[in-house]
Amino acid sequence: MNYPILKKLILLVVALAVIMTACGDGDGESSIDGPTIRLRGQDFSEAVTIAEVYGQYLQAKGYDVEILTAAGFRTEAIDGLRNDELDLIVDYIGGSLTALAPDAATSADPDAVVAIIGPAYQEIGATLLDYSPAVDGDAFVVRGDSPASTISDVADLGYVFGASAQCFERPQCFLGYTDPAIYGIEFASTVTIEFGTLLGEALAAGEVDAVVWNTTAPQITEEGFKVLEDDKGLHPAQNIAPIVKTAVLDEYGDQLRDDLNELSAMITTADLLAWNTETDIAKRESDDVATEWLEEKGLI
Amino acid sequence: MTVIAQAAVRRDIGVFEWLFDPDSWASTDGILASLGDTVILCTIVVLVATFTMVPLAAWLAHTRRGEVSVSWLVTLSRAIPTFAVAGLLVPISLRNGWGFEPWPIFIALLMLALPPIFLNTYTAIQQVDPGAVDAARAMGYSEADVLFRVELALATSVILAGVRVAAVTVVATEPIRAFLGGDGLGRYLRDGLGQNNDGLVIAGAILIAGLAGLTALSFRSVERFALPDGVRRLATTATR
Repeated sequence: MNYPILKKLILLVVALAVIMTACGDGDGESSIDGPTIRLRGQDFSEAVTIAEVYGQYLQAKGYDVEILTAAGFRTEAIDGLRNDELDLIVDYIGGSLTALAPDAATSADPDAVVAIIGPAYQEIGATLLDYSPAVDGDAFVVRGDSPASTISDVADLGYVFGASAQCFERPQCFLGYTDPAIYGIEFASTVTIEFGTLLGEALAAGEVDAVVWNTTAPQITEEGFKVLEDDKGLHPAQNIAPIVKTAVLDEYGDQLRDDLNELSAMITTADLLAWNTETDIAKRESDDVATEWLEEKGLI
Repeated sequence: MTVIAQAAVRRDIGVFEWLFDPDSWASTDGILASLGDTVILCTIVVLVATFTMVPLAAWLAHTRRGEVSVSWLVTLSRAIPTFAVAGLLVPISLRNGWGFEPWPIFIALLMLALPPIFLNTYTAIQQVDPGAVDAARAMGYSEADVLFRVELALATSVILAGVRVAAVTVVATEPIRAFLGGDGLGRYLRDGLGQNNDGLVIAGAILIAGLAGLTALSFRSVERFALPDGVRRLATTATR
């Protein structure tokens, strides 16, 4: 008996298998032995680009890296490390502080923050590497025509306040702004807005008068907004830093540590702003932006 | 100037501990207020959809016009994801000074409510027994009488079923509003997800599912009462 369709199907499957193996072996010339490093960015454009930069950099160095689709935020990232689903995350150190030690005093000095979160990460089996000079801090943003120049100035203006759901439970955010012992601001009302460009849209439209955003949001300069000075020092230092599963770090030895520290040292705040402008204003893909930057710096 | 103390719910709170706490219900932005927001918006959406689609579909079906084009158009509005519609409309609304609410979410939910009402009405009237219609005409009924006293009467239960499907869908979808600068029952899902508070997420889901279930139940009883006498008698003789 003859089944021509069956034959064709088998041929197709074999061909696909050959193609897939061929692709898998494609970039194996300078590979480094060790476990696969699973990396996932948090789900907002800057974090996605950062994850791509670290991931593509390590791939080019010959590490076996799997860059997973961005999902979740800090809590999910830290849970991923804890539950052994991720091996490398990149976070903002002040953010890590609020997640790991919510009751600890915040500080604008990155070394003071690292002194608290370093041991906290060790407890969940992860190692915090050197932080980068690149900072993306919390920004208390108002429209350009606001009379305020510091956050304290907002106290009596009766502003409508907009921020993400996370902000409303944080001592370094809404709770700190409204705490009479710190800023003691009396907001007229509050609006919960998903973190991202919608914050800027709402501010520009006058739906809210102040939002909590990040200092590297490109729309701040595009729209002529003002970032108010944190005169009471509520916002913690927010340098970016990679955190690696300690077991993985041990397997690779000093090489992985040195490679990551070298990359972190090269990223600047201006780079973050430039990446965000590319992804959010020019609407380009994060992986392309990352590749371009790495090529420009001669890192890949 | 009022201070809004939006204290976050404790992260380790139990689902029922929160649901059974009177404070969760009665505070200024508590469950009752959110429930009110949701019910008002959903009611308006379903009313608008019903009072536009039932007459339109009834007339089109009665005159046998636009069968393909209109049903295509209406079905298409259901094929576009509701969240995408609302998400795209929010920035447009903001830039025009109309605020976060109510237009974006209203339009998005309306697009969701139109198809079941339109299609049920259209199909129900189209499939009314031609014998009954001919008999009515033969007895000297005017066209309006044929439509109102024969076709619409016989189609009532199917039309109401369409409204019920629309209402349940709208109630179950309305929570996306909380992710687009609004409030309503979806706020507990939003805050729970944002603040990593599983208890709040589950409680919010229970509230939404409960409201959707209640909506379905109350429509069932309305359907029972709203049936015209003749049709009800028809139904009882048929089953006898």
